[in-house]
Amino acid sequence: MKILLVEDNERVTQFVVKGLQEAGHTTDHAGNGRDGMFLAASEPYDVIIMDRMLPGDIDGLAIIEVLRKAGKRTPILILSALSEVDDRIRGLRSGGDDYLTKPFAFGELLARIDALHRRAQAVNTEIPLTVGDLHMDPLTRKVTRGDRPITLQPREFKLLEYLMRHAGQVVTRTMLLENVWDYHFDPQTNVVDVHISKLRQKIDAEFERPLLRTVRNAGYTVTADD
Amino acid sequence: MLRSSALSLALGYVALGIVALVLFAAPLWYAWQVTIQDSRTELLQIDAQRLAEVFRRDGAEGAGSFIDARVRMQIAGERILLLTDASLHRKSGNLPAWPSNVPTAPGNYKVRIELGDHGMQTALVHVARLGSYNLLVGRDNALFAPLQTRFWYGLAAAVAILSIAGLMIGLISRRALLTRIDSIRQTVSAIIHGDLKHRLPTHLNDDELNTLSRTINGMLEQIELLVHGVRNVSNSIAHDLRTPLAELRSRLEELALIRPSPEQTFAEIDGAVADVDRVIRIFDALLRLAEIDAGLRRSGFVALDVADLAANAVEFYAPAAELKNIDLALRSDGPVSVSGDPVLLAQALGNLIDNALKYAPVNGSIEVAVRERGDGTVQISVSDNGPGIADAEKSKVMERFYRGDASRGTPGVGLGLSLAQAVAKLHGSALELSNGNPGPRAAITLPVDVTSPFALTATPQETGAGEAIASATLASS
Repeated sequence: MKILLVEDNERVTQFVVKGLQEAGHTTDHAGNGRDGMFLAASEPYDVIIMDRMLPGDIDGLAIIEVLRKAGKRTPILILSALSEVDDRIRGLRSGGDDYLTKPFAFGELLARIDALHRRAQAVNTEIPLTVGDLHMDPLTRKVTRGDRPITLQPREFKLLEYLMRHAGQVVTRTMLLENVWDYHFDPQTNVVDVHISKLRQKIDAEFERPLLRTVRNAGYTVTADD
Repeated sequence: MLRSSALSLALGYVALGIVALVLFAAPLWYAWQVTIQDSRTELLQIDAQRLAEVFRRDGAEGAGSFIDARVRMQIAGERILLLTDASLHRKSGNLPAWPSNVPTAPGNYKVRIELGDHGMQTALVHVARLGSYNLLVGRDNALFAPLQTRFWYGLAAAVAILSIAGLMIGLISRRALLTRIDSIRQTVSAIIHGDLKHRLPTHLNDDELNTLSRTINGMLEQIELLVHGVRNVSNSIAHDLRTPLAELRSRLEELALIRPSPEQTFAEIDGAVADVDRVIRIFDALLRLAEIDAGLRRSGFVALDVADLAANAVEFYAPAAELKNIDLALRSDGPVSVSGDPVLLAQALGNLIDNALKYAPVNGSIEVAVRERGDGTVQISVSDNGPGIADAEKSKVMERFYRGDASRGTPGVGLGLSLAQAVAKLHGSALELSNGNPGPRAAITLPVDVTSPFALTATPQETGAGEAIASATLASS
């Protein structure tokens, strides 16, 4: 993936660029709004990571608005130290696709970038999903592993569907809370983990190869690879 | 002193009063003067005509004796009569000679004449010619002088009374105003110096100053609350962030000193990241609390179904309850619409359930209930059969970071109940804690939003939220 990072803080830049490189992405970096606007407008990127507050007269939201008005549909993740809900809404309204509050875990950033990139490539919600020998048909709501049918509760179905749509990617607890339950707060306890372990009971318990795996310090992933 | 608003207002009214008085008196004065002069001139002309008739009938001698008779009869000084020949020699009348300042040409004149024992007087005279004789008929103004004087005195007295009364009222009200303003000023300066406990004095009567005082008191109430909140938050931050930060610091310092094996180092780093995460969580919770307290979130109010909200929360926590073998049940009577912030209400309810899960005994039970009550309110409650909260602890549990003795050793940052409390407050309600039967109960009461069409259009609960709750007993749904 080709990613543009517009961020003025050197430490954060170093940390993010290095991490993205290790994850196999090419990263361009702009340290102020002017350069960021120039790069974002002239180069084709898969995802743009935009710091909200930038030095100089052009801030992140202004760049996003200009890009969107110019018809650029590149997915944009806003990074910000402002965490209040209103700021979040303002960020998303200006044309951003996702919002991440500083400080953040790198795993969370990576997972969200992957999700944004995936979302940008028009997903057909009707085609059956397959990971290894696990199949899901979103239309008939039937789930099978091998030739064995699996019965899921509606919310478990939604959870598995989200995981399978992001197969091979890391999905964080926060992403699950936001997308499966529509909860935009930290429930303090490990309830998501309990839901995952229940789901794991149903899809993995009686099989040799586990598909739903825990990624340490980050979240979960559904994959058939080793 | 002239800058005093009360006094200048009073003086302004006095000036206005005087102007009004003058405006009233001037036309009156003018009308009076004109009318009297006219009627007196007319009377003089009638007199002159009568004398002219006598002169025509009886000649100069007859007129002279008629005049003498009149002069003798009348009250001295009132009427002035004089008949002279062509060379102005007195023939008869009560003037010694033709006054030098009266012309002999016929007409009406207003002149000052020496009138024997009355001295100089302003008089209105009429001069006529009878054959070769000159006739002067006149009346002095002595009769009207006292009336005039009285008019002027009256006017002056009215102005004086008005001025003095106005000045008195001005001074008195200035004094009263100053007394009250001074007490306000003293209170405010006490507040400026940091003592937010002070309130402006208010009285029973509802005048403008009192209304203002009350409004300002309300403002002070809110400011005190906010300042108190900020102080609380900063105290809490100081207290509760220091602990994990201190742990983190010693962990890192130890790591730098000991330089253990790579595996152990990585384990320590993971521990350090977890410490930082805990700090961030506390920070986020505090910021959200501050945001709710400031009332900033009221813009996010929408019509929502609390029964649906509760069903989702119960479904979300059901597996966690199952793990502890706790029976988490939902009791609701169908959709109930309220106006509120869905994210915050879900979080508040989540915190209450989370709390109950922490304190309910293994194999215990928790009931989440949504009860629509007769008075147009709906109560959302979470009760469990745990040990409950001692009365002494009840107010403390809602304080930030307070953790009861029973909670030592359980995870959490101690902000759950204060957040639920803040959310309830934002929705114009309060978090009620009671020790019911069998165990403790936390409840938030909200007004039902009857205007919202939500209750009618509410979608059926997403493919039976009840089914998803493995061990939940659905009392009624």
